[in-house]
Amino acid sequence: MSKTKNVVKTQLSPMAKREERWAWLFIAAPFIGFLLFMAYPIGFALLASGSKWTGVNSLIGNLCGFENFIDILTDPKFWKSMLTTIIYMIGIPLGMIFGLLIAMGMNRNLPGKRIMTTMYYVPVVSSLVAVAILWAWVFNFDYGLLNTIIKFLTGHHGPNWLGDEVWVKVAMIIFMTWKGLGTSIILYLAGLQNVPKDYYEAAEIDGATGWEKFRFITLPLISPVTFYILITSLIGGFQVFVEVQVMTTNGGTNYSAATIVYYLYDKAFSNGQLGYGCAVAVILAIIIFIITAINFKYQDKWVVTD
Amino acid sequence: MKKRLIALLMSTMMVGSVLMTGCSTVSTEEAGETSADAEDETTTDTFKGDGDKTINILLYMQEHEKKIYSGLIKDFVEEHKDEIKEVNFEVTTQDEYGTKMTANMTAGDMPDIFYVGPDSVRSYVDNGYVLPLDDYVDQETVDNLWPAIKSAYQYDGTQVGQGSLYCLPKDLSCFAFAYNKDLFDEAGLAYPDPENPYTYDEFLEVCKALTKDTDGDGEIDQWGVANADAFGMTPYIYSNGARFLNDDYTKVNITDNDAFKTAFQYYVDLTAKEGVTPSVEQDTALGGYQRWLDGQVGFYACGTWDVAAFMDDSTFPYNWDLCGWPVGPDGTKSTTWLGTVGYAVSAKTENKDLCTELIKKLSTDLEGQQAVSGETTGESLQLPNIMDYAKSTFKDKVADGTVPYASNIDVIYNYIEGSDKYDGIFSETTYTYNSEWMDVFLEGVPNVKNGTVSVDDYLKEVEPKMQEALDNAIELQNTSTND
Repeated sequence: MSKTKNVVKTQLSPMAKREERWAWLFIAAPFIGFLLFMAYPIGFALLASGSKWTGVNSLIGNLCGFENFIDILTDPKFWKSMLTTIIYMIGIPLGMIFGLLIAMGMNRNLPGKRIMTTMYYVPVVSSLVAVAILWAWVFNFDYGLLNTIIKFLTGHHGPNWLGDEVWVKVAMIIFMTWKGLGTSIILYLAGLQNVPKDYYEAAEIDGATGWEKFRFITLPLISPVTFYILITSLIGGFQVFVEVQVMTTNGGTNYSAATIVYYLYDKAFSNGQLGYGCAVAVILAIIIFIITAINFKYQDKWVVTD
Repeated sequence: MKKRLIALLMSTMMVGSVLMTGCSTVSTEEAGETSADAEDETTTDTFKGDGDKTINILLYMQEHEKKIYSGLIKDFVEEHKDEIKEVNFEVTTQDEYGTKMTANMTAGDMPDIFYVGPDSVRSYVDNGYVLPLDDYVDQETVDNLWPAIKSAYQYDGTQVGQGSLYCLPKDLSCFAFAYNKDLFDEAGLAYPDPENPYTYDEFLEVCKALTKDTDGDGEIDQWGVANADAFGMTPYIYSNGARFLNDDYTKVNITDNDAFKTAFQYYVDLTAKEGVTPSVEQDTALGGYQRWLDGQVGFYACGTWDVAAFMDDSTFPYNWDLCGWPVGPDGTKSTTWLGTVGYAVSAKTENKDLCTELIKKLSTDLEGQQAVSGETTGESLQLPNIMDYAKSTFKDKVADGTVPYASNIDVIYNYIEGSDKYDGIFSETTYTYNSEWMDVFLEGVPNVKNGTVSVDDYLKEVEPKMQEALDNAIELQNTSTND
């Protein structure tokens, strides 16, 4: 081993050596960045998750093993917010279906296509806080746009969108679907434009119907896009927080709107249980890791990569 | 193989980003986004002198308060310019403050001057963060503080309320009750007597008389009172002599507690049975505060910080005055909660004398107090911290109209100092490590107010949950303190 090393070293010219030093320097920059901004905080959060750390007291002096994790897993509020988080994910397939439909509509050379694309994309680039405030007004019980329309059409007062334990979930799903639509459309549009035209022509010659073309050509060929949207939406879905914080008071009536990250924030920053909050983050990270891993494992079954 | 590598990389990144949401120092992305709707961001003003000492201050306050306090700090630097190199005055929002302080503590980089509330005196002192002020503040200054404030910031290592003084108050606030005079006139009702707060029954009668359909469309659009559960419920309960917790704040006591039940039932009935408040749904559509400003409700809570806004005709174009919260059948005094936050000096500061001088200026300087209480600015943001000024000149200035204030200002003094009809206490969450037990209670209140759940069922259901949260808070308190 050392022999090979020597051989390599003797082969390097002084200039190559200098270059090698520079190479190390270039590698060091991202590596140090990773250590400082990823490895250290992750290590810190892991350590803190095993402590009754409050921010004021000593982290090391209050280590408690797995107590936080046991407390979390036996806390009904945790499971409630977990369930709500999952319910919100109903918005993911909805967003994908609408996104694909609209993208297919736009994938013809219609006039005003660019304007339409921009319009659908505006929510994506807008501040989440700003649009959440806007939608809180749309959902307003007495003065909201939605209930005004419902009253006009049906003569009845609409539901208490943000105050009712069930309707608040519907409201959140509507909001999230609207907010995410632009991304799906743009991605699907790109995917659709990459589908070779001759496939369709060949299929037409063989007498394929519109549905068959969609089912056997379009859908498989855009499956990598679908996969990408699915993964990112799932991960994003587990991290929903701002909407809940902005649109409801204290996580909604009976905590009905709270998500996992809201629960984390509530514990860590409203109640000063920073160690506990870190433990929630660890659990959330594990869940996301598992779900992403499962997704990648089973993608072979439906994602067409070639 | 390549796919697996990508999968691994992607997962690692996601795990990393999630883990970091749990870590206070790196959660800025989300925290930053949520605070984007807050009116102000963090700002730092630097005041320079010719000396060599640096003082860092971290506080939260509103923009108009900041203007006044910046002026005081500027004067202070001028007065001590031979000693001071610079004073960095960092002001953030109340929401961000806790996160920032935690980050500072974790990094071991505490500002020289910061806020400590009565709820955190114990943990800050026990962990050695704050300097006792006994050697720096003269007795005369201390004696001139409101007694309630003094006891909130005294601590002897085991008990709050005695021992060394650790903070000088930024303010002492009081959550009083107000009524819209114009609605009383319209209904031909006599104004509430500030000397004798209503009983529960009297209050209900008045509220019924004020609740009506003013435009004749068949829907109620004016109500007797609007109550915000999070702030406006406890005065009803306290005024029936009831408390959520036992005397040493270790047990939740709401089911086997008739006074509590009576008070909570009364509070809920105002909405559910009597309909003298906006309904739960109406409340989510437009909060009580907005309805009060809009002249839709007869009574509403009035904190000392609200006075300036209510006196401003463009904000609240109605005549109004202060009164007491209604007293329940089991209670003897109209009781509300008081609030305060105090200036503390870091135990590790290198400039103990200068820092204590500076907080004295911010807290008890006459000119500063004349400004924040409204004598020189015409806008009363808080009561004066200096008792003799508050009781003499300030009251005269209220009487002669220099300070725009409700004329029944004695209601507030009575709450703060206590009388045979009035009492003021710090809310019970002040004495517990966090207020999660109270949040647990508040979460289900809308369901009781809209009649979905009965008071008895609710109290039975929620008490064990509250106790669990309280036990948790006590445990956390113990990890932060000596005992």
